[in-house]
Amino acid sequence: MMSERPVVVVGAGLAGLAAATELARAGLVVLVVDQAQAAGGAVHRQPLEGVAAVASAAQARRWSGVMAGVQAQGARITLRCGTRFGGVDHTGAVLLSGALNALIRPRALVLAVGAREAVQPRPGWTLPGVMTAGAIQTRIKTLAEAPPGRVLLAGSGPLLLAVGAEMCRLGRPPVALIEAARPLQPLAALGLPLAYLAEAAGYLARLLRARVPLYWGAHLTRIETGEAGLLAHFDTSKGPRRIGAEVIGLHDGIRPNDAGLTASAALPVLRLGDCREALGARAALADGSAGGAALAARLLGRAAPPAAPELDRQRAAQARLARIYAHDGAARLADLPDDTVICRCEMRTLADLRALGPAPTARALRLDGRFAMGACQGRFCAEWVGRIIAPTTAPQPIGATRWPTRPIAVADLLAASEDLEGETE
Amino acid sequence: MSGVIHWQGRALPYRAGESVASALLRAGVFSFGRAATGQTLALFCGIGQCQGCLIREGGRVTEACLLACRDGMVLTPAAGGDDV
Amino acid sequence: MAPTPEFDVAVAGAGIVGASVAWHLARAGLRVAVIDATGPAAAASGASDGAVSVASKKPGPMARLASGSLLYTRELAAGGVLAGAFQARPAYVFGTGAVEIAALDALIAKLHTLAGPVRVVGDGPAALLPGLGDQVERVVVLAGEGHMPGHRAVRAYLAAPGITPIWPAPVAGFEADATGVTLDLGGRRLRAGVLVAALGVSTPALLPGLPVLPRAGQLIVTDRGPCGALPGSLTAAAYLVAKTAAGTALPRPPVVIDPLATGQYLIGSSREDHGDPSRVDFATLRLLLARAVAAWPALRDRRVIRAFAGVRAAVPDGLPIVGPLPDVPRVIVATGFEGDGICLSALIGREVALMAQGLAPGAEWAADLAALSPARFTALRREGVA
Repeated sequence: MMSERPVVVVGAGLAGLAAATELARAGLVVLVVDQAQAAGGAVHRQPLEGVAAVASAAQARRWSGVMAGVQAQGARITLRCGTRFGGVDHTGAVLLSGALNALIRPRALVLAVGAREAVQPRPGWTLPGVMTAGAIQTRIKTLAEAPPGRVLLAGSGPLLLAVGAEMCRLGRPPVALIEAARPLQPLAALGLPLAYLAEAAGYLARLLRARVPLYWGAHLTRIETGEAGLLAHFDTSKGPRRIGAEVIGLHDGIRPNDAGLTASAALPVLRLGDCREALGARAALADGSAGGAALAARLLGRAAPPAAPELDRQRAAQARLARIYAHDGAARLADLPDDTVICRCEMRTLADLRALGPAPTARALRLDGRFAMGACQGRFCAEWVGRIIAPTTAPQPIGATRWPTRPIAVADLLAASEDLEGETE
Repeated sequence: MSGVIHWQGRALPYRAGESVASALLRAGVFSFGRAATGQTLALFCGIGQCQGCLIREGGRVTEACLLACRDGMVLTPAAGGDDV
Repeated sequence: MAPTPEFDVAVAGAGIVGASVAWHLARAGLRVAVIDATGPAAAASGASDGAVSVASKKPGPMARLASGSLLYTRELAAGGVLAGAFQARPAYVFGTGAVEIAALDALIAKLHTLAGPVRVVGDGPAALLPGLGDQVERVVVLAGEGHMPGHRAVRAYLAAPGITPIWPAPVAGFEADATGVTLDLGGRRLRAGVLVAALGVSTPALLPGLPVLPRAGQLIVTDRGPCGALPGSLTAAAYLVAKTAAGTALPRPPVVIDPLATGQYLIGSSREDHGDPSRVDFATLRLLLARAVAAWPALRDRRVIRAFAGVRAAVPDGLPIVGPLPDVPRVIVATGFEGDGICLSALIGREVALMAQGLAPGAEWAADLAALSPARFTALRREGVA
């Protein structure tokens, strides 16, 4: 494949491609892999062939710029889509599966795997038809299509507004948008970057024009199967309501997608972009460039470049946004019915959690409670298990990082062509 | 449209490049069967993280949201969830 | 004047051996404390494959003790403490090539000599076990062995009344005198008549003279598949060679495939001289899986959900260390089982409980247990132990 040991970059989104460009610019050979069928990551997820793009002109320009930067590096950057990263082991071997099946020992590893969503458990949240708001956004970006039937958006966060507005543009407005916070705070919003405000205003305008019912300070309390599709119950300042829908998009925040990411003593492993710190697109671009340049300097024995100020700006903006979107919805975890599923993969409920006693150890949670023992490695349940057990402490992962980073098909592990001759430095 | 995939005796059309989960959703297939844990397998995160949309193609179980549709593909329930 | 002991016996280590000792003592009416730095089954017992196997034991004391322990385990499982933890099931040992075939012959001879609870009920080509890969030259079917997940057995033993659990609490040190042992648990001191040290890989921290070394083995856990297709564990004869003739070059990977009650498979293992549970590498996993798939092709459709290294407590001469310290009879050691702890725990627990009460072990086992005595290390021990 390559005569020189490449730097492997996992994730062909903003951070990954920005890093790859800087690494290649410094003269290094880079292999970028992405599990999706095309580059773009989440923010710039590309429409499928023949689908009209829903991205704005500004977004399209940014992405063209990024791709031009990659193309300018020519053969130094190889992009392999449809390829998953299975993990790095202590010898520095990296497993790749899919369109490319290989076990290689790269010169360095950059993990730019973006963010995932937090979704608070509610009764009925495991019913089919209930998905993340991000899953709906993925569909909109790739297919310019909303899910079939009535769609309800609920939870908290700016993503709900974005997805709702995108659905309106497609002529398929959501039946309602349920937001736990009250983010329409003009004074607080004044401190946000203009670009954020413009975006939000645009979303709101679309939702209002389409007459989408917007509930602020409202909390989705439970979902059940209705006569047709699902029935969502929610609390508003004016009392309890319910609404029917075929699809419910839930969203309670963005988190770094860092579960299962390990380090290795054998080679430099770097996290960049949202998987390191979820700060959004602008930060991901800056972090990718700065991180790539710093890694290149390190590998080539050169002086490290200065850090980018953009990250601080974005950090401040995200912090302000978090304050605007603050709400006490997590307190409702304590009032959940006992049979509410907390760990989706293992179908472990609140009752199962309570049965472990007031302060279960990580080991008890996993071996006895079986929380975070499922295939998702606690990505979706660990935060809530932590919040239920110790509401005032920052949630932790449950136990040691599981390895490999994701389930790997035995057939893939056996099919990987081995190229492990490179010496570790 | 570029072909059909097969699920539970139905031949379902798909758009070129889309995932199995996406094509099934359009056809109104929201549930992919039950896992051994009792979990109903279905689309949730859409990006291969939650392992909730597992489906079987040939002998292999994989995430339906990451599996690209191919003409003539036959999909069956994974029937056996994941655990550690 | 030494204080009156709070406990008759303090057991340091809540792994399967410590738990078994504690259960036997509690049953005899003694006041027992079980102390662990982390909690029950925190180390090797929690990472075990659960094989209650005589086949894998070295001929001599180990095989005999294992044979007796298997019988006793089955007794305890028949409506007793281990019911729900132990499950009888067939075991399959397979081989290809001269070295492995010879190992299978040796296995049959060993079991014949033992004339114990494990019987050879089948011996022939791969077709004897439906689903076995056709590259396999020969498979031997055994009846009488079983499966017992370590953490489940530990939980069963420790549920007995009369056992006081103390964790998390590391034993930082101890002082033995004429009437008892005082343990230093960091913030607190605890006094017992006798100390049983069942500490596995943590033994050297408390008893530096004893040569207990970590020996890691990589393990793979798969997702769930159809249950019952493989009725019992499937072991490559190379594994027997590794266990019984340590140091022999292995012609093929010593793979063991264990079907779990959940429908998942546990596949192992390697033998590496370190104690780091996170040291797993793809190349080793591929070697193990390649052989596992050749032996049981249905595995090709499975996914690897997790891989980690279980860390066994090994002793250079290949025998566990069981018995009172020669100069400190109030301290009894039970450690170094190197992957044989699950099988031996029942019998060792019973015999060590007898020792802790100042009673002689069963006559049937005295000679074999004597071979495990820490007295064999007197030269080393003199340097390190209080």
